[in-house]
Amino acid sequence: MDRRRINGPAGATQPPVFDDVVSQGAKTVSGRSRMPDASRKMYLKTGVTPSASGSAYLEMETSAKPGASGLKLSCSVHGPRALPRSAPFSPHIVLSTHIKYAPFATKQRRGYLRDPSERDLGIHLEAALRGAIIADRWPKSGVDIIISIVEGDQDRETSKSQGEEAWDMMNALAGCITVAAAALADAGIDCVDTVAGGVAALVQDGGADSTPTIVVDPIPSDHAKILAACCIAYLPTRDEVTNLWFRGDLPASDMDLYTHLVEKGILASRNANCVLTNCLMETIE
Amino acid sequence: MTTTAPTLAIPGQLLGPATRYQPGPGTHLHEAQLYSSLLGQVHTTAAARAPGPVKRLTKITPAPVPAELPTISVMPSSSAMASGGFQGDEGEGRSGGAKKREVLPEVGNVVLARVVRITPRQAVVVICVCGDTVLEAEWQGVIRVQDVRATEKDRVKVYESFRPGDIVRAEVISLGDQANYYLSTARNELGVVSAMSEAGNTMTPVSWKEFRDPETGVTELRKVAKPQ
Repeated sequence: MDRRRINGPAGATQPPVFDDVVSQGAKTVSGRSRMPDASRKMYLKTGVTPSASGSAYLEMETSAKPGASGLKLSCSVHGPRALPRSAPFSPHIVLSTHIKYAPFATKQRRGYLRDPSERDLGIHLEAALRGAIIADRWPKSGVDIIISIVEGDQDRETSKSQGEEAWDMMNALAGCITVAAAALADAGIDCVDTVAGGVAALVQDGGADSTPTIVVDPIPSDHAKILAACCIAYLPTRDEVTNLWFRGDLPASDMDLYTHLVEKGILASRNANCVLTNCLMETIE
Repeated sequence: MTTTAPTLAIPGQLLGPATRYQPGPGTHLHEAQLYSSLLGQVHTTAAARAPGPVKRLTKITPAPVPAELPTISVMPSSSAMASGGFQGDEGEGRSGGAKKREVLPEVGNVVLARVVRITPRQAVVVICVCGDTVLEAEWQGVIRVQDVRATEKDRVKVYESFRPGDIVRAEVISLGDQANYYLSTARNELGVVSAMSEAGNTMTPVSWKEFRDPETGVTELRKVAKPQ
């Protein structure tokens, strides 16, 4: 709780949602409108914050449903700059990542200070970027990567119990990785490759005994049940995975399912990387 | 193998095999292939002509590897645009644009620094200019008493060499400890380039160790840089 600012109400404050045709039925799962291997459309632009060394903005398409919001991320990179005097000598660049949901970004109102889940996202992001940065090009310096999640890709109509936070966080992390890679390239920090994030999930759409399928870039409210998901940060030229975050339970019957899920996650990050590459080429042209 | 390198590059883009180019700033080497590590324009500079006969007759040096390969480098495009056509031609270390890309002092660079305080053992300076680039951040450096000049090191007194406020031209000799770069002025052309007298006037150098105030005529001791 932040005592120095005027805080909003602690509990959930939801703007009134009026009944429409979609929500009158008892928990309709709209289903996925894309192909299983297709990601959502993405908008990416670098150089949006003039005062930062590098910056980028990412917007993910909303699903077709009314009332659902897309993902909107703004990333700024400050540095390389001198480390504070108290810091020990470092022959490499010191990465520090901050991810913060805006207080209004999700259904549940967030505080002004970072909570443990946001810190956790920051650690995942740092791991993903550390594999991509050539750290020893900048000795004795630090770089700050600050991402604010302006809109958190959550469906307002799903009840709190149904939509589990972790799946939304994975989508957010994948976006964070992509937007941070764009901002790092904009800041002129040496990277071995453009890293991009992608999510794949094992979903069960038709009842408890149906066969689960793997989809790329899942929207949690599109599916009846998400069994497992993984978020992958991937370097396409090197063919290396720099960060892998897996969550959920896989059926023990199929041992290859995990590999397939990771492969689809790599596919998702390749999709994101196409957008990233095009965006960066546009920047320098 | 007639493919040429691309003109624009993003991080991770293949530039060519290491057998055809030498890696320059903004590139990296991976499995005998050169890749870009920055976002910007690709520059290829022809190799410097092989140097003439080696002059140092007293020392047997191995024959220099003939540098026939052109150097390939990637310059951030934002800096090239922002600083008005400053591109290519890196003199001291990795020079980027003045606007956006920050550069770091590297070992061997000649820097301009301002003296902030002196102790009997060292002078603490703040590095302002590295090579031709004005630095955005202020990096702290130290000139130790043994690095002030090359001769008679045991007679050097820091307060007879530098005063707070002087502008010093110095060479980076080490990245140093956590806070300080280690600098040296142990060359004729290194030392104080601009100094103020106690009366507050800008002084002119009159000898290798003296500055004179043109108004009061008082001389003060400094480690004077040879005017260029």
